[in-house]
Amino acid sequence: MQALLSFDQAPPFSAPIRFFVSAPLFAILAGLLMLWSGPDLFSSRWTPAALALTHLITAGFMLQVMLGAMFQILPVVAGANISRPLLIATVVHAAIALGALLLAAAFLSHQPLAFRLAVISLGSGLALFAGAAGHALYGVPSRNPTIVGLKLSLVGLSMTVGIGALLAIALDASLALPLLQLTSIHLGWGFVGWGMVLLAAVAFVVVPMFQMTPPYPPGVARHFCWSVLVLLSLWSVVELADWQWPAALLAGALVLAAAVFAAVTLHVQRRSKRARFDATQHYWRVAMLCALAACLLWFLASLLPTLAERPEWPLLCGVLVLSGGFMSVMIGMLYKIVPFLVWLHLQNLGGGRVMAPNMNKVIAGEQIDRQMRAHFVSLAVLLAAVAWPEWFTYPAGIALVVANSWLLRNLLAAVTFYQQHRSTIQGLAPAVATGR
Amino acid sequence: MHEITDFMTRDHRSCDACLVAVEAAVEGGAWERAGTEFARFRDAMLNHFSVEESVLFPRFEERTGMYRGPTQVMRGEHVQMRQLLAAAETALAERDADDYMGNAETLLIMMQQHNVKEENVLYPMCDQHLADQLENLLPELRAQIDEHLTSPSR
Repeated sequence: MQALLSFDQAPPFSAPIRFFVSAPLFAILAGLLMLWSGPDLFSSRWTPAALALTHLITAGFMLQVMLGAMFQILPVVAGANISRPLLIATVVHAAIALGALLLAAAFLSHQPLAFRLAVISLGSGLALFAGAAGHALYGVPSRNPTIVGLKLSLVGLSMTVGIGALLAIALDASLALPLLQLTSIHLGWGFVGWGMVLLAAVAFVVVPMFQMTPPYPPGVARHFCWSVLVLLSLWSVVELADWQWPAALLAGALVLAAAVFAAVTLHVQRRSKRARFDATQHYWRVAMLCALAACLLWFLASLLPTLAERPEWPLLCGVLVLSGGFMSVMIGMLYKIVPFLVWLHLQNLGGGRVMAPNMNKVIAGEQIDRQMRAHFVSLAVLLAAVAWPEWFTYPAGIALVVANSWLLRNLLAAVTFYQQHRSTIQGLAPAVATGR
Repeated sequence: MHEITDFMTRDHRSCDACLVAVEAAVEGGAWERAGTEFARFRDAMLNHFSVEESVLFPRFEERTGMYRGPTQVMRGEHVQMRQLLAAAETALAERDADDYMGNAETLLIMMQQHNVKEENVLYPMCDQHLADQLENLLPELRAQIDEHLTSPSR
């Protein structure tokens, strides 16, 4: 009940924004890594540079955005407040940022110490976040699919990091572990148990409400997250036991579930009643199309052994899912979340005496559109780089740096806008403005 | 067990539909129609706030003793939405499409995050605490909401 009483307490602006502003820095580093390592990066998914790059995007970009957003949405959708949000956000942010950097360095240098430090840093940051979020969610009844999904995504995240930590330790301790299977399971939990479950949980609320679409079919909303997690758990056991047929069937079911989610989202969004199709909606559409393409590619590879043997297909799937799917949705959502937070905090600071400028003034519309085009170009060039690394690795690296520098510029423009207006408000109404 | 939640949620959706109608008119440059649709939207919103503030919230506060809890937060957000409605109305009167869209977008997000809190937290609490008053509370809510829908303007 305590959590319910205080659901007005949106965390201070600086708690979520630090995560959002840091995210593009990791993608810029990923682009620089591509330029530094050259076409060799794409020779297989197992090259040190490919592994470092993947983790700069997942443990860097994605983790930053997702945790920042969780700080903001837990109080709204579940009435669950993380206590002392600024302190928790500061520590969690520092720990996961350092952890992601160390992890990338560990893959590149193959230094056991770097792996251990990365595990400690990421593990402690995430344990603190999971503990704080779990504590806030404890006792909140699972009234709707979104609350269930948020809780399950925390389980997914913990499993991903747990298995990842085991792998990192096993790499240098030469433990007799089935490393290939564990890597698949780590990847499955990361993409599906954490990423997709969290995305779906948020989509069930955000898509109908902000894009004015009909609701998701109740069966999909109610059963998607938990059934995916059950399938994922069964698949993990079977995969570890090395039962090949059942593992392939269950993996197929999981990929099919992802495809169904993407298809249903596209279908629902086609019936949006909004008059203007904005950047966020473009981002969602491209993301869902990329997810469908990745699923199709996966099925093709499991049907055609000649395709499955080629090193390009897992890389192609990876680019489609990470850059095309997750990054696209997240950037699209940032363009709603950040301007709204700026407006909300300025409005609260003004205390009704000073009206905050509306959210469309926070980041210029044409800058958002240009950044979006830069992101889509970077996606296209990345896909080309997988197919023809000799030709396209360097352009892809540059494109990734450009698109994410632009994103960083847009987010910093929002922060500057907030700071300038905050000073104005404080100058006008010193008695009212006491915010951070 | 979810009568209040269901009833009030339906009214949220009906306000959403009114907002969409204004947006479509503004986007199509039909300013006259936009003005009429906006009046409908504004009245539906203000009526919804007033039903909550004069009927539902006082009953909840009286029953639970929570005067400074969620209802206070919701009242505060109503104030912010009234300000955004006024800003959007000014932009509409000046036929400034960009300014209208900016205020409407801000209002939309404000409205929807407010609705999520009410539909997920506050209304279920009302259903739980006011279950024994449903017999006269629901007709009262219905009367106020429907009265607005049948009267052409306020």
